[in-house]
Amino acid sequence: MDLETLNQQIAEIEADVAKKVGDMQAVDALRSLDTSILGKKGTLGSLIGGIKDYPPAQKGQVGQTINAAKKRVKAIIDARHAALKQAAVSADSAGAMAHDPTLPGDRPTMGSVHPVTAVQWEVERIFERLGFTVEAGPEMESEYHNFEALNIPASHPARDMQDTFWLTNGSVLRTHTSPVQHRSMKKFGAPLRVIAPGRCFRYETIDASHENTFHQVEGLLIDKDISIANLIAMAKTLLNEVMNREVKVRVRPGFFPFVEPGIELDMNCEICDGAGCATCKRSGWIEVLPAGMVHPKVLEAGGIDTEVYTGFAFGLGLTRLAMMKYGIRDIRVLNSGDLRPIVGRERQGGAVIVSREP
Amino acid sequence: MLISLNWMRDFVDLPEAIDVHALAEKFTCTTAEVETVEHLKVDARGLIAARVVSVADVPNAPHMRLAELEVGAGATVQTVTVAPVLPVGLSVVYAPPGASVAALSKIGTTEVAGQQSCGMILPGDAIGVPMAIKEAIFLAPDVTPGQSLPPEWFDDWLIEVDNKSITHRPDLWGHYGIAREIAAITKLPLRPYPVAPLDELQAGSGREFKIEITDPEACRRYSGIVVTGVPTQPAPLWMQLRLGHVGMRPISGLVDLTNYIMADLGQPMHAFDADRVDCIEVGCAKRGAKFKTLDGFERALTDETLMIQCRGVDVAIAGVMGGLDAEVARDTTSLLLESANFEPSIVRRTATRLGLRTDASARFEKSLDPKNTVLAIQRFVELAKPMYPNLKLTSPLADCYPAPLPKVTVSVKAKHVSRAIGREVTADEAGALLAPLGFTLNDSGDVWTFDVPSYRATNDVSIEADMIEEIARCIGYDTIEPTMPQVSLRRVAPHRLHDLENAALRHWSNGPGFREIQAYLWYNSEWIVQLGYDPGACLELRNPAADGLHRLRHTLMPGLLGAVRKNRFHFPAFSIMEVGTVFDPASKDDVSRRHLGLVMARRGKKSEDALFTELKGYIEAWSWQAFARPAGFSTVEACAGRAWEHAHQTVAIRVGDVEVGRASVVDLSLRQAMDEHLGAWGIAWAEMRLDVLADLDPVIEPLGRIPGHPRVELDYSLLVDSQVRFAEVVSQLDRFKNDLLKQIRFVGSYEGKSVGAGKRSLTFKTVIGCEDRTLVDDDTTEFCTAFEKHLAGCGFDVRR
Ligand SMILES: [Zn+2]
Repeated sequence: MDLETLNQQIAEIEADVAKKVGDMQAVDALRSLDTSILGKKGTLGSLIGGIKDYPPAQKGQVGQTINAAKKRVKAIIDARHAALKQAAVSADSAGAMAHDPTLPGDRPTMGSVHPVTAVQWEVERIFERLGFTVEAGPEMESEYHNFEALNIPASHPARDMQDTFWLTNGSVLRTHTSPVQHRSMKKFGAPLRVIAPGRCFRYETIDASHENTFHQVEGLLIDKDISIANLIAMAKTLLNEVMNREVKVRVRPGFFPFVEPGIELDMNCEICDGAGCATCKRSGWIEVLPAGMVHPKVLEAGGIDTEVYTGFAFGLGLTRLAMMKYGIRDIRVLNSGDLRPIVGRERQGGAVIVSREP
Repeated sequence: MLISLNWMRDFVDLPEAIDVHALAEKFTCTTAEVETVEHLKVDARGLIAARVVSVADVPNAPHMRLAELEVGAGATVQTVTVAPVLPVGLSVVYAPPGASVAALSKIGTTEVAGQQSCGMILPGDAIGVPMAIKEAIFLAPDVTPGQSLPPEWFDDWLIEVDNKSITHRPDLWGHYGIAREIAAITKLPLRPYPVAPLDELQAGSGREFKIEITDPEACRRYSGIVVTGVPTQPAPLWMQLRLGHVGMRPISGLVDLTNYIMADLGQPMHAFDADRVDCIEVGCAKRGAKFKTLDGFERALTDETLMIQCRGVDVAIAGVMGGLDAEVARDTTSLLLESANFEPSIVRRTATRLGLRTDASARFEKSLDPKNTVLAIQRFVELAKPMYPNLKLTSPLADCYPAPLPKVTVSVKAKHVSRAIGREVTADEAGALLAPLGFTLNDSGDVWTFDVPSYRATNDVSIEADMIEEIARCIGYDTIEPTMPQVSLRRVAPHRLHDLENAALRHWSNGPGFREIQAYLWYNSEWIVQLGYDPGACLELRNPAADGLHRLRHTLMPGLLGAVRKNRFHFPAFSIMEVGTVFDPASKDDVSRRHLGLVMARRGKKSEDALFTELKGYIEAWSWQAFARPAGFSTVEACAGRAWEHAHQTVAIRVGDVEVGRASVVDLSLRQAMDEHLGAWGIAWAEMRLDVLADLDPVIEPLGRIPGHPRVELDYSLLVDSQVRFAEVVSQLDRFKNDLLKQIRFVGSYEGKSVGAGKRSLTFKTVIGCEDRTLVDDDTTEFCTAFEKHLAGCGFDVRR
């Protein structure tokens, strides 16, 4: 093939490519065109193999001519490729316009824990950070664990105050989480830092603010040189963390057979800020934490050496805390099994789009 | 208990302009909780005594009467009144025209029911005696008509102390005991208790009457005296007003006086007609005896009821209430006045058994100071002398105190006080703080010894910790600087069950979307009957909250199904769970169990199978996630009586190789029995023992390995009879042994036209490989041949 023919052939190929490329809409087709022209067996690519047939003086020029052509063809194909990609992006973007990005998402079914459980976990975390261990005790207790071991002998008036559910087998449904104090002393000995959340039962008539089934958390710390000053500090820490603010507290004497001295810790009323309202019975204070230094008889019953160790204990009403935290007015919703009052509105059914509820 | 500030001033010289609210707050923080503080402002101006001369009916006004009153200097007026009782000759509290009290509008001369009415006979509730509604307040005979009544008697401050906060403090059930605390708080002196001298009582004329106590532990002390010259007449106005302020109703001079002493000292007293009761025996009632109490009710006694008797005849229930027969009457001339001290638990038991809680029994239950029996009689005489000019003591004081309580001394280690309070406390400081409360510090070295006053020694203060409390509260809890404790670090084992419960609640609420509920510990009989469930033997409550709530649950299912019925109105689909205690009364050791109950409910006729499959999938996922073990389900027979266990669909759940619970779907008949609308729902459930799961040894699934040589996956479909259970197929597959086999996974189950009726196609993926080389074609062929041979041997129709 003379040079002229070669040039003509190249020109034809280039024209053909230019024409074909203009019609091409798919990247794949473009790729096969690339192969069929520029590949080793392609119309342009195969010309390289013919260089050897030219006289040595022409070889250089022929090679340059073919390579230059290949570059031009490659540029045509690449340009088309880029144009197609750009077109695809534009088309995709245009297609996306059809979707409404302001639609709510498709949400998975959400579950929830009971409000009392949520508050219980919060309290557990607070105490775990302070190095307390979490214990549990049985809901059915012996009289010994519920009363005697806590310095409440049979003749004690507190047995009346604790309106008790009795079983026909002589056991009781525990009236407080305090039996876990004794159980933990027996199990671990001193020193000891433990909390025990759990369900308690009192024989009382149910109304909006009284339940016969409710949750408490017991706290117990036994170590060397434990003081009332420590108890007050710990109680304040607990309340500050739970209420998520610096609470003002008032400490006053309180009487519970299993502590001596016994105290009541009051928190200033959030609703009236201490001025007095219906919630705090006009006192400006809300009773939140009965507590005290563990009675020596209770320590002794738990096998603790009272010469070496002292401790403090407190009880916190988890149910009441949950009611305060979530603004639940009627205690009865908690054990009713009705999901509506214990599951947040956002968790019920589809997304709330407009809310006119408080 | 209501405390009157006027009364308090008898014992402590409080400043005239004291801030009562601040005082009450201080009392709350030092002694006992004050519930309310009330300023009683009667604002009486110009009230006088007026004597009833005559009483006449008012025509056409049946509730009104026309009274003629002597108002001093021989003058009389007529006034219309609604007072129900108005004996001629007695004087009343009268507001002449121009007088005023805060509760009433202007008082003048008006026409009432056609009669001219001058001024007004004041009802008790207008002048600070709220228990006397409409009733006039009668005045003692020494008051002369026209005498003006001191306005300062009517106004008062009332401090209400929470009764629950003083149950352990017998000394605080009277004004004098409260005054002692107030004196200590305000650092003012406490006046000695004003009483007649003891020798005056011992010098009473006549014979001492006999007192016999059978059981000195039941009746610690019994004291009495006989008096004459106590005619029926009203008590002094100041006394009636004070009683009125603290919530008691004035009745008559004698009753008011004993009530006054009860509110003053805390010691109940009782008066018998001395003509009928001339000696005292304290012993138990006869079994089955009946006794008519003062309130007119007949009471059944047991042989444990402690009684006051006279010559074998019951005259009072000890510590609770006197008898009707020996009551002081209008014609009584001679009184046997008594005050006693009983074992608290006996009084409490009797009062509880009879359902008769009186002011007296409430005080005896607190374990009163035995010294107060005599003190009360001394106080009676002191107060009675000005009231009754003819008062005579016609017996010497009789006092039976067979086993005097020992004097209580408490030793306190000085270092223990500082340790408990968290700061150094010296003996001087402690001694000075406690002296106003009656404690005497004897020894002030390393060990302090305190003499405990008798009024704190009956059950209140007996050990070192009690003394520490006294010191701490007198120092003031608000002055103690809070400091975080210094503690010893120590490793304790986790409570695995509790941890698992929390983890389970978190898992099931997060991923599978269950919502936690909490139900009661007991079955509701009505509901379990509706469920057709007979629970068999249960632990039972002796005193259930209501009828039919006496049986304690063995299973969480009735509660969860109850919640399904409740929520089906509000949600088209929901999953609920409970973690709770159940009981297994048949168990030998611990009858308490902790269960996890899961229920999925969805509206839709065909939803049942899909729900059950979904639930099992969740259980499998949890089993891996929480226990690193596979979960398995095997068919079991439904438990008779547990209607929620489907006859053909109930499975036992295994985690690893431990059976942990059951799962099933609720059949149509039970769904309809629960609620007719639930017929169109699907309900799947599972109940598992968390206590068993918590005992599983922890398994850690090894991670971090990448197979060194590629694995080959081969899918097989087995055509089996629909009757054949998946579990059977699996057990057949499990019998196949081959070194190359790494896993068989379940892909899916298909039933339909292409597989033919009565058949289903189960698809599995086998994964084969070798740890030390890449498989070659021959390996695969060899495996397939062996596996297909095994499948054929099992009778499966294989489609690859
Ligand atoms: Zn308030």
